[in-house]
Order: sequence, then C-alpha cells, then structure tokens
Amino acid sequence: MDTLARIRQLAAKEFSINPDGLDPAAPLDTLGIDSLSFIEFMFKVEEEFGVSVSDEDLKAIKTLADLERHVAAALTAAGKV
Amino acid sequence: MAARRVAVTGAGVVSPLGTTLEEFHRSLAAGRSGIRRLPPELSERSGVQVGATIDWNPAPIFKAAEAANLDRVSQFALAAAAQAVAASGLQMENLNRDRIGVCWGTGMGGAHTQEATYQQVYGAGEWRVRPLTVVMSMSNAASSNIAVRHGLRGPFASYSTACSSSAMALGEAMRAIAAGRADAMIAGGSEALLTPGVLAAWQALRTLAPADPADAAASCKPFDKRRAGLVLGEGAAAFMLEEESRARARGARIYGLLTGYGNSCDAVHMSRPDRDGQVRAMRAALTEADLPADAIGYINAHGTATAVGDVVEAEAINAVFGPAAREVRVSSTKSLHGHLLGGSGALEFAAALFALEGTLPPTGFLEQPDPACALRHVAREAERVAPLRAVMSNSFAFGGSNVVLVAARG
Repeated sequence: MDTLARIRQLAAKEFSINPDGLDPAAPLDTLGIDSLSFIEFMFKVEEEFGVSVSDEDLKAIKTLADLERHVAAALTAAGKV
Repeated sequence: MAARRVAVTGAGVVSPLGTTLEEFHRSLAAGRSGIRRLPPELSERSGVQVGATIDWNPAPIFKAAEAANLDRVSQFALAAAAQAVAASGLQMENLNRDRIGVCWGTGMGGAHTQEATYQQVYGAGEWRVRPLTVVMSMSNAASSNIAVRHGLRGPFASYSTACSSSAMALGEAMRAIAAGRADAMIAGGSEALLTPGVLAAWQALRTLAPADPADAAASCKPFDKRRAGLVLGEGAAAFMLEEESRARARGARIYGLLTGYGNSCDAVHMSRPDRDGQVRAMRAALTEADLPADAIGYINAHGTATAVGDVVEAEAINAVFGPAAREVRVSSTKSLHGHLLGGSGALEFAAALFALEGTLPPTGFLEQPDPACALRHVAREAERVAPLRAVMSNSFAFGGSNVVLVAARG
C-alpha cells in the first residue's frame, strides 16, 4: 500500500470517516480535523511510519497530501524507501 | 422579586446498579447489590478484593475513535448528561445557551489516562506520550466535554472536593440559577478510578472492606456491627436543573425541587470526620430550604461503613433532628452501589429523589444494627410510603468538606 493510502486509512480510522470520501487536497479543517485532533493524529502517523515530523514542518501541513509529502521525505531521509 | 426556585427536570445515571435511571431505581427497590469481586488484574497486586464496577461498553454511545479520545470518567459523564438532557425534553438547539451552564464534580478526573501514562513512562520507559493525555486526564475534562457536546456557554465550574464533589456541583448549580445567572444547568459528577495504582493507594489507607466470605455482594455493611469499611465504585449521575417557573410553563416533569444546600468544612483533620462540621452543613441546608427538621422524611446518609464515620454521622443526625430522628428514615445506598467518591453525591441524590416519590431505598445487608448508630434504618429491603414532603442527602468528604442537599416535592 502506498504512503497516501496508509495515511488515508489511518485518518479514516482516527476520525471515523469513509476513506474513499477523503480528498487529499482538501484543507484539514474542512474534513473536521481541528488542530488538537491533528496533533493526536500526527502522533499515530509517526508511530505507523517510524518517522518524526518536526514542529516546523508540522505547521506547513494543511492537507493530507502535504502530510504524505512530509512523510515520504522523512522516509527517504531515513533510508526507509 | 420572588425567589427563583430550582426544579429537577431530568436525570441520568451510569452506575454499578444499571446504566439508566430506571435500572438504577429498580435495583435500589430490589435491594440488589452491584458489588463484586474485582478481576485479578485489579485485585492481585493492589490487594483490594471487591469493588462496584460497571461492565461498560462505550460502543452504542461513542464511535470507537471518539471513545479512544475520552477517558472513562468523561464517557460516564457524557452518557449520564445525555440521558438527563433527553429526559428533560429540552431542545437545546432552540435555547439561549448563554444562559445554560455546567457544574460537575469529580475527585480524580481522568485516572485511567493518568495511570496508563505513568505505567508507560515509568513502567515501560517509553516517554513518547499521547498528545491528548493532558486534555483527557485534567480534572475539568468531564465538565468541558459536556459543555462542548451540548453547546452550553453559561456558568461553568468543576468541583473536586473528594466525596462531596458532585453534591457541591449540584448545590452550586442551584445557586447559579437562584441568583439569576443561569436559567438551566447540567449538574452532577462522575468518577472512574478503579485502576491498580489508585486501588493500591486506597488499600494503604486500611479503610476498604475485604470481600464478605459468604457473599462478595454483601461486603459493604453501613451501620452494621459487622461493618468492615467502604467499597469503591465508579459511575456518574447527571441532572437537568431548571428555574421552576420556566419548567412549569413548558409543562416539564418535575422530579423534585432542589431547595437546600449546606456547605461546611470541618477544618479539623484530613480524614477523620467531625460531628460539628456535619451538623453545620445539615442545619444550613434546612435553613436554606426553609424547613424544620421534622419535614424531612428520608436521609440518604453518607454512610461509608467505616468504624468511625457511621457513628459520627449518626450522632450528627441526632444532634440536628433531635426527637425527629426517631421518625426520619435513613439508609446508606453505598451498601449497594459502592462509594463513587466524586460521583457519589450526585448518584445518591438520584436515590433521594426516588425516596421523595415514596420508595425508600435500603441499607443493604443491615442485619445487626450498631447501637452506636441510633437511627431509624431502612434495612435490607426498600420501604414503600406515601410521597414525602422533603428528603436530605449527605456527602462528607476527606479533607473535611461537608455538603448536604435538601429536595422537596415539586
């Protein structure tokens, strides 16, 4: 499963929403994901992928697609892909 | 301006005696106990043998993802509050919710979250802690979750005075309405602290009852010569309190009027109860309710089944009621639902309102009344009487906090 699909699956579980209905380009707040929920979600994303996203990078993440890019970059940097 | 009186127009219960008000009432009427042997994961290392636990399944009420982000104490609170709102018949979305608030009591707050976190950090050495740990475990998590869920923007407070927390929340909510600061309030309390570490701390106090060898359900025996201590429980009770004229204007069912709230501190000792502090709280509640002692038909006693506590409370009741103490029926329903600590005042207020309607819940397993606890007990079985004029509920806490509530027929 690719990175985005795994992130979508995690998000669907965390927020009890249908993964097929998740638009990766949609701003997170329009998906009903507020800042606190997002921080808790990031904790699980980091667990899932074994990566760490910095506070600085976190601020730049506005969509699930942004998140995928950061996770993919972190995986590459860690030599995990 | 006429005094603003406060009506109870809704109630909700999550308890070891059932997870609805009706189930709770049926259990009390039957004298059924929710106390049982604790599972090995709770009892083996803590040494605590019995508790009043709830077989809690959040699934019908909360989505799995939602439940994972709510401590058990908040789950109980939200479930009880939702019942109270539904029972009141109020359509929250149509109301000015700047005029509706929340007063909630809890002794420990999110104990399960705290203990799981400490276990992870100190036990497993894993310091990567869930981001929601703070907002799940803070003492005001339950109250805030209720406010958020129902959009209640009026007066708001959390009370943490051990075993009087939720009785205090009810009293203070009543005051907010009486003072004109709110038209309605959700008030009550919840506790969920049956975790190995918390149980070990309680066990160290040497105040918990061991399992009754013949019947674990009968381990808590308030006012009985054989009493051996308290039994911890968990759960929540919530009430919709409403300014009386508004409640009457909309034809609401009125469970009773919350007319008296007495609040005092012993200021003597951290755990030993003090007769005079309890007397002051009972007298203050009667004064506010504008009732003589002999108007009270039933007292839901604090009655934890400790050697000292039950005697002191019996003395305090006799001091306040004088000759009327021979008539007023008294029971401690902790014998059946255990001690909910921060949730106990609210749950026992639900029992007292049941008595107001004419079903007096019993002190379970009271077969050998201690002569040092000279009271007119409702022993072992519920008594049916004509609806009462008024009832009292006592909550006396560690730290010396005493709260007494008086409810009158609506």
